[in-house]
Amino acid sequence: MAEYFFELLTEEIPAWMFQSSWTTPVDTALEKLCGELGGGKWKTDATSRRLIIFLRDLPLREEDREIEVKGPPKKSPDAALQGFLKKQNATTGDIIESADEYIRIRKKIAGRDISALVQERIPQLIESLRWPKMMRWGAGGHSYIRPVHSIVSIFEGEHLPVTIFGVASDVKTVGHRTLAPQPFKVDSYHDYLKKLELASVDVEAAHRKNVMVQRALVLAKQAGGVPSEDVSIWAQWQYLTEYPGVVRAEFRPEYLALPEEVLVTVMRVHQKQLPIRDRDGKLTSSFLAVLDNEGDPEGNAAYGNSFVTNARFADAQFFYDTDRRKKLEERIEQLAHLQFQEKLGNYAEKTERVKRIAIAIASHIDADLGHVETAAKLCKADLVTEMVKEFTDLQGKVGGIYAREEGLPEPVWQAIYDHYQPANVDDALPRNLVGVIVSLADRLDTLTGFFRIGLKPTGSKDPFALRRAAQGAVQILLNRDQREVRLSIGELLDLVPESAAARTDLVAFFAERIATILEASAWQFAYDEIRAVMESGWLNIPLTDLVDRISALKAIRDEADFLSLLDSVKRITNITQDHDSTRVDASLFDSDIERRLNELADLVSSQIADFASERRYREALQSFAALAPELEKFFDDVMVMVDDERVRANRKSLLMKTAHALKPIADVRQIVVDRRDYRT
Amino acid sequence: MPPVTFQSLILTLQNFWAERGCAIEMPMDIEVGAGTMHPATYLRVLGPEPWNVGYVQPSRRPADGRYGDNPFRLGKHYQFQVILKPSPLDVQDLYLDSLRAIGLDLTKHDIRFEEDNWESPTLGAWGVGWQILLDGMEITQFTYFQQAGGIDLAPISAEITYGLERLTMFLSRKSSVYDIDWVGGVSYGAIRKQDEYEFSKYYFETADIDLHWKLFDAYEGEARRCLDAKLVLPAYEWTLKCSHLFNTLDARGAVSVTERVGVIKRVRDLAVRCAQQYLESRRDLGFPLMQRNEGNSSS
Repeated sequence: MAEYFFELLTEEIPAWMFQSSWTTPVDTALEKLCGELGGGKWKTDATSRRLIIFLRDLPLREEDREIEVKGPPKKSPDAALQGFLKKQNATTGDIIESADEYIRIRKKIAGRDISALVQERIPQLIESLRWPKMMRWGAGGHSYIRPVHSIVSIFEGEHLPVTIFGVASDVKTVGHRTLAPQPFKVDSYHDYLKKLELASVDVEAAHRKNVMVQRALVLAKQAGGVPSEDVSIWAQWQYLTEYPGVVRAEFRPEYLALPEEVLVTVMRVHQKQLPIRDRDGKLTSSFLAVLDNEGDPEGNAAYGNSFVTNARFADAQFFYDTDRRKKLEERIEQLAHLQFQEKLGNYAEKTERVKRIAIAIASHIDADLGHVETAAKLCKADLVTEMVKEFTDLQGKVGGIYAREEGLPEPVWQAIYDHYQPANVDDALPRNLVGVIVSLADRLDTLTGFFRIGLKPTGSKDPFALRRAAQGAVQILLNRDQREVRLSIGELLDLVPESAAARTDLVAFFAERIATILEASAWQFAYDEIRAVMESGWLNIPLTDLVDRISALKAIRDEADFLSLLDSVKRITNITQDHDSTRVDASLFDSDIERRLNELADLVSSQIADFASERRYREALQSFAALAPELEKFFDDVMVMVDDERVRANRKSLLMKTAHALKPIADVRQIVVDRRDYRT
Repeated sequence: MPPVTFQSLILTLQNFWAERGCAIEMPMDIEVGAGTMHPATYLRVLGPEPWNVGYVQPSRRPADGRYGDNPFRLGKHYQFQVILKPSPLDVQDLYLDSLRAIGLDLTKHDIRFEEDNWESPTLGAWGVGWQILLDGMEITQFTYFQQAGGIDLAPISAEITYGLERLTMFLSRKSSVYDIDWVGGVSYGAIRKQDEYEFSKYYFETADIDLHWKLFDAYEGEARRCLDAKLVLPAYEWTLKCSHLFNTLDARGAVSVTERVGVIKRVRDLAVRCAQQYLESRRDLGFPLMQRNEGNSSS
């Protein structure tokens, strides 16, 4: 069993890249490599400027193996055979019996040294990694995430020379950039861990994170609080340093009067700092920052972090004071100078359209028209505030905060605040119905606009995030509480007159979005269930009804009667391929079975219509399933393909009519039946 | 650590980089937004000639003016700019040594290199690098130049840009830029506050918009004429003047969204032509600085 250790020393790599461009691809590649080598365990790690691989339990040599090699035809001249053997370094003794007309030999392939394989593969792996933003350096001959400084490559305690981008490996590395910069030798991974710990470097990212979390808790507790929950900060912090340090700093308490959203955004997004909250969850004037040092004995890092955060807040205070001298209402005309899209005009025009659509939606459902109009009119006004110009990710929120301070009614300011929600699948909907309507109207306008000027998403390209816009609209329409918007996509598109020109494309786009969203949803709908129901018409029913129909189908699809029915429908489909009438002539019946099926089909059809109108889809499907025994009986006792053309056509019509009874709810022909599952 | 003043910092950095073989250039003597626009950077990073330089550059950003009221923001600030071409492998360590030279004991501070890439649409230039944080505060911009004037660069230059006011404020523990000492007993505010106020007033309220547009057209024409006459360095100076006029008009609120893209493109077109023509002119001269280098390495 052998060990291999590799370190590449580079310059500080952007923290957000490690997971996707190092850990994930390298783990995958090493898993494959160990499989190929016939065993071994792997571990990858990284600090802000080191990439580390450790392989252990490796076999020393690859297994020997035998392969068959095909030679010339048996009937070829001897010279051909000799040439072949010579080339393969074989003798006539290696020839084996073969059934076909070719000579075949068995050849032994000696397993290679694992070290030789590692020596070949590791440099290939490292050089082939594609980082999001590569650079060149020095003479400019190589392109990588950052310049390569040195490489440690050790196999079983011995240097295993490799070369990457012209840099030859060695067994030397360095410690922390400022605390222990002197080079030193290492002879194994464990030696490396130990020596680097003494040199103020914690090599293991997960360990650094744990240490930081613990320090953060202690430091926050000393300030009488707890660190804010923040997954993204921790994901970054662990790769921002080599030593897992955390420092606490304070900003001037008067800045606590600024909106909390602004304070948190400045700290988290712009400074990568972690706010501290008190026991009641209220923001305090203390916060935490990452520190690539063992401590802060002179308080320099605390001072520096306070200094820069105070400076940022001073700016924010300036923006806040400036912005509040002007009401949102007075900003609307400025929106005429802010372009939305070259061909779709400016934000004043967009606002007008959004307002019109929002009012149209609101008048179709029970919503406060006045609130909807005000919220829609003001929803984009914050785009011309100093605060949003500086902190763009606060759009919407800033408008909502200013609207609240202007004393606008709660439903209005909340609607402005929330109208960019849901920003993604996991995001919440706007808090109230007004917000939901404005969000929906904004999305419909954006989608219609871009589709109208021919800028719809293609393949993986979606530069205007239209899929996300549609996704949010669908999430809103799937919701059923006091914020429910019970309108179909068809009705909504009718409320946007400009959509007419691109209607076909928009409908197809929504169909695809809805199917994708439903398939990935918590309902766990199968693709054929979604298709069966959507095929029978989705455009003109509210999406909540669509979900109810699919749920009903999902619930019933494995019941014996329904499965039998599906079987019958398939038979009917085959029999009636060249037939397209459902008109039945009762005078042509010659058996009670036919008469009975006809009566039942009429009854079931009307039942299904009734149930459907009451949205009792489960019962509608059950009523359809009740046809199963009758249909089976029909197929057992009645011959469809009789000579009399009129009787034959009439029976086909009867079958078709029966099969069509469920058409308004689902096209059951789309259901895929696994035959092993049924008739047991 | 002796008290740091604005000028002691400049002198220390000049000496430090001079001792490491940098030519100490003088500031560009027309208005620029950053040290990068000095021909000693923008043009010298082109082509194969080695080049190591350091200089102070007063940098004008009309839109950042705050009438002398904001303790952190200035319409004009001073950068210390270093170019090392080709970028040496130990450039980060050289940089850390410069901080030690200023008097910082780095074992007692937090130094981090956080991703911050640079791109200038008006110069057709971009690079990859970091903002260097001293105790959480950005004090330096570090960039490996990848392209200038739309031309792929080889060798690559490392650009180090120190924010001199920021650094002095931090080192002397002052909470307003106007309170730092320029030299013992004379504050930065005493020397600069009046022009911060007057230029803020001028750029935001007073500048004659029509005149600036006329000048823009005229300077652009002159830059073109120089390019046609194969006088690339004068052409580049007129280009810089156009760039400053654009910044002024922008601060004055005279550039609409639709115009903006077009005006930036006019400046970029000039800058890109200057870069191409400069490279040709150096080739015609036989890349004079290459010979100096070869002479050195053979000795």
